[in-house]
Amino acid sequence: MIRLNLGRPIMGFLRFFRDPVLVISLLLIIAFVGVAIIAPIYKMVEESRTEKGRELFDRYLNSPVYRQIIRNTIQMGLIVGALGTALGFLMAYVQVKTSVPFKRFMHFMALVPVISPPFAVATSVLLLFGRNGMISKGIFERRYDIYGLDGLSLVLTLSLFTVAYLNLKGMMQALDPSLDEAATNLGASKFRIFRTVTLPMLLPGIASSFLLIFVEAVADLGNPLVLSGKYDVLATRVYVAIVGLYNTTSAAVLSIILLVPSLMVFIVQRYWVNRLSVISITGKPSGRPQQITHPLVRWPLFGAAMFVALLIVLIYAVIFVGSFVRVLNVDNSFTLDHFDFVINGYGSEAMKDTTRLSAMATPIAGILGMLIAFIVVRKKFLGRGLLDFGTMLGIAVPGTILGIGYLLMFNRPHTVDWPLLGTVEWMPKLTGSKAIGGGALAIILVYIIRSTPAALRTGVSALSQIDPVIEEASVSLGAGSFATFRRVTLPLIRPAFFSGLVYAFARSMTTISAIVFLTTPKTKIMTQQILNEVENGRYGNAFAYCVILILIVLTAIGILAAVVGTRSGTERTIEGGA
Amino acid sequence: MSAQRGSLVLEGISKVFPQRGGHGEVTAVDAVSLTIQEGEFLTLLGPSGCGKTTTLRLISGFELPSAGRILLDGRDISYRPPNKRDMAMVFQSYALFPHMNVYNNVAYGLRAHHIKRRDIKKRVVQALEMMELGNLASRRPHELSGGQQQRVALARSLVVEPSVMLFDEPLSNLDAKLRVQMRSEIHKLQRRLNITSVYVTHDQVEAMALSDRVVIMNGGRIEQIGTPEEIYRRPKSRFVADFIGRANFLEAKVESAAGDSAVVNLLAQTVTLPIDFAPRVGDTVVAVIRPEALKLQENPDLKQVVIEQVMYLGSSVDYVVGVDDQRLIVVDPDPLFGNIYKEGQKLGITFNPETVYILPK
Repeated sequence: MIRLNLGRPIMGFLRFFRDPVLVISLLLIIAFVGVAIIAPIYKMVEESRTEKGRELFDRYLNSPVYRQIIRNTIQMGLIVGALGTALGFLMAYVQVKTSVPFKRFMHFMALVPVISPPFAVATSVLLLFGRNGMISKGIFERRYDIYGLDGLSLVLTLSLFTVAYLNLKGMMQALDPSLDEAATNLGASKFRIFRTVTLPMLLPGIASSFLLIFVEAVADLGNPLVLSGKYDVLATRVYVAIVGLYNTTSAAVLSIILLVPSLMVFIVQRYWVNRLSVISITGKPSGRPQQITHPLVRWPLFGAAMFVALLIVLIYAVIFVGSFVRVLNVDNSFTLDHFDFVINGYGSEAMKDTTRLSAMATPIAGILGMLIAFIVVRKKFLGRGLLDFGTMLGIAVPGTILGIGYLLMFNRPHTVDWPLLGTVEWMPKLTGSKAIGGGALAIILVYIIRSTPAALRTGVSALSQIDPVIEEASVSLGAGSFATFRRVTLPLIRPAFFSGLVYAFARSMTTISAIVFLTTPKTKIMTQQILNEVENGRYGNAFAYCVILILIVLTAIGILAAVVGTRSGTERTIEGGA
Repeated sequence: MSAQRGSLVLEGISKVFPQRGGHGEVTAVDAVSLTIQEGEFLTLLGPSGCGKTTTLRLISGFELPSAGRILLDGRDISYRPPNKRDMAMVFQSYALFPHMNVYNNVAYGLRAHHIKRRDIKKRVVQALEMMELGNLASRRPHELSGGQQQRVALARSLVVEPSVMLFDEPLSNLDAKLRVQMRSEIHKLQRRLNITSVYVTHDQVEAMALSDRVVIMNGGRIEQIGTPEEIYRRPKSRFVADFIGRANFLEAKVESAAGDSAVVNLLAQTVTLPIDFAPRVGDTVVAVIRPEALKLQENPDLKQVVIEQVMYLGSSVDYVVGVDDQRLIVVDPDPLFGNIYKEGQKLGITFNPETVYILPK
């Protein structure tokens, strides 16, 4: 018998190939990430590097106007990052560390912005605090100019702080109470513990929240379109370059300029902040979390958090009321015309299309996210870091940039010449007129790649908390990789899967920047319609769209909870063990 | 450190928790009274849920008593906040601050007490040297082994020179060998520094090895307090006898009783045994016989037993034998080579009457 000494790497490779299901799904995933995420971004980078593109780079970077726009964008990102993180911290701290009434209410209000359609908050704030605002003019009798940095910062902070809230709340809950107890026991006061233990332990969470909000803020398109006024930012410039000037090269160049800070932040967050992380999941946490009881600390914190919660209520109340009256604050007579317009009239198509496309993208994004998480966490092979990174690009890259990438990449069919089969079209035209499905396929793809990263992250964090021996037990009992994933892993990470699905649906329904260039007359999308209504000052219709969109999202969450949902996280108890 | 610090008194301490999810209440600690002398090492021992950890948390101030008082050196500290109690606790998870290096972990308590910077340095260095951690001062906790983390936790607590040291199952996260080693170190350290210590564990060997006195708890109450020897040799209840070490329980009839001794028939032998209650003739009592007090002999005159299981452990052999429908554990503490009995073998059984203790049924 001949014994081959293939060496370790090759043996490892072969072992990997003994699992054909895994290999095939891995290859499919890599192909998908390559075609749907990497290729369009690459195409856009290529477009900006053409002769014409280089000229534009030169012009933009040397022009005072554009320099100001770049400065504006970064300034706005920093302010919103700081405010959003602070607000998220406040809400999380009140939720985890104090005993005050109305906690569930405040928690719910902190989550609401996730499902808010673009323009909703901005338009509502405009009607409340703008030149003729119900509060600024109605109560304080001032003509406040909300357009610009102040209004944008307020609206973006309120729209984006939920990320920081959830992130920091999770970390605060994961803090081992025995650390607090050890510090107390050694004689430290509550404030000293906050300063020397709580805050430093949360530093990675604070840093990553700041960076995430920064990226979202500079990439946001909807709010600046409504509120930026003379305060120009890059995202709106990109939009104007396409929609107003039909200049894709200019848009690509501006996108690259916008991409640089976003990508930098993404990389910093990924490779530096994660290394700061000091929270380790140890066995059973001992002791009970101590709460702040001092009235001089507790009640001001409660007051601040409650103020924010009520502000959010007010903003959504305006949306709700505004959808039922003729013109809010001008003609407050009751009408159902706006809903008639959306449900029976012009908007009904958009409503159905958006829901259908989102519903198609949601399960794909959810399963894809869990599958990639499983592969990245559990399977050791070269390039798994790259697969993770590539998938994350789907959200790290501003939506407008993806949209332009799709326009550049998929505005024509792609073919390949085979020696025997002749020319095979492997990818039909996805965008613009005569696109397949009226552009619907491109929109579904964008929905998927925009929501897979969140599912991937929740999947990764859920998986890394599950002891791999549970899966090894399944394999040792004769189950293959796929059966193990489906029968053991997926049920165990069901809570993560569920939140991935909810996020995917909500994100798809509310996304605007990535699909604004991809809609065609055949495929109408609600967020696009809302933009049209807002731009034409028909706030009533816009609000009716928003209300219906929120109702659809809430209904979908209800359905998902019934189908995939969890009963108060019983799965988690398994991990804890006895 | 003055020798006059650290006497601790619990007076009828109770702790009632609301039931999780439900409306009822759970009494975790039920009217516990205890006096702990200065410099004494006292262990709270019992199965999980017996109230030992809650008692420790009441002493440390992380829980407030529902009833009763806690006195430290004669002063009532029942409701004093935990950071003002002059006690230092070693946690089960060590609770080392993961974002600080070893030096800063150990210095934490001194800084919280606003000790002068120069003194902090001196005392931290001293504490690190005492725990043989001098060269690890700049390491982070996650860069240390389990045993080293344990030492840092000890150093961090000792350096503040507390009146009372509290230990919450500090060795349960270590592997068996290290546990024995750290046990011996804690023992030496406590004897040398003479700090009053309250130690919670569910490991009876640990409790016996370390303690001046052991408190056996069950269902929130104290079952027995005594030196390790008293607890092992004179258990007051079947629960204590069963929890501390291994025990065989054999029922026996009292043939005559007089004052502090009784004559009973046990394993076909009539013996006179000391007794600290007053049974009547004909009563059934329970004899507690430790496995090492039983002996197997090839002697047809003795009560005959059948060997059902043999486990060779090196330094000893465990036999499970059947007698009158009952199973007994017999330990041969010093087996000679080639001298192990076989399963199924029939043998006579005898015992050393001095080690037998009688409990009421």
